Amino acid sequence: MTRLTDDIIIRAVARIMIPFIQLYALYVIMHGHHSPGGGFQGGVILGASFILYLITHGLEEARVRMSELKAGIFSASGVLIYSGIGLLCLILGSNFLDYGRLSIILKVIPAQARSLGILGVEIGVGITVMAVMFSIFFDISTGGIILEDEEIKEENG
Amino acid sequence: MDNFFLWLGMGLFFLVLLCLYRGVFGPGVLNRVAAISAIGTKTLVILLIMGYIYQRVDMFVDISMVYALLNFIGTITVSKYLEMSGEI
Repeated sequence: MTRLTDDIIIRAVARIMIPFIQLYALYVIMHGHHSPGGGFQGGVILGASFILYLITHGLEEARVRMSELKAGIFSASGVLIYSGIGLLCLILGSNFLDYGRLSIILKVIPAQARSLGILGVEIGVGITVMAVMFSIFFDISTGGIILEDEEIKEENG
Repeated sequence: MDNFFLWLGMGLFFLVLLCLYRGVFGPGVLNRVAAISAIGTKTLVILLIMGYIYQRVDMFVDISMVYALLNFIGTITVSKYLEMSGEI
């Protein structure tokens, strides 16, 4: 699972499918308040696309696209977006995550501000879930041993 | 027409039970992987038939697409694992 394999069919199919999977994940996140889905489900689909990339293209190529550092930064920034929107509502003089008060700075009616606020929160949740799913799978596939870049180069000769 | 789809779904449910037998008792791990993949595909069709019966196909199409995607990734992962661990 962690090495680069030479099965051309799986690699070609994954390369064609991954953009559509990610587009579908963005659709699930964006339409979370009209149809089934939302931040968590869209994040899981987005993470599944990265997991598919790791399975088919090997660990070293996946580290270039999404390293442990990037996954950590993404998971923290998603939580920052979520709690930032919540605290913004608190600062504007309302309850935590009461999006109606965001209409003051967004210059729209409160109902539209609620829709935009929940969209922002779902984007934050989606980013966090994607990064955490990927980092869990990454840790399982490396067995908890994190190799530095020089060691990987030495192993490959 | 609703009755027809209801019976179609019940027939697929019976086929899922047959696949489940192959998945539990099937000799070897390859039979089990194929049975799980077939069960996932049948579940997808049952979901769409349910959506037609409840008149909410637009909702159920989303769920069934996610189901197909996760079924695909799961089958590839299990196959890779079996190839790497040398069980085949």
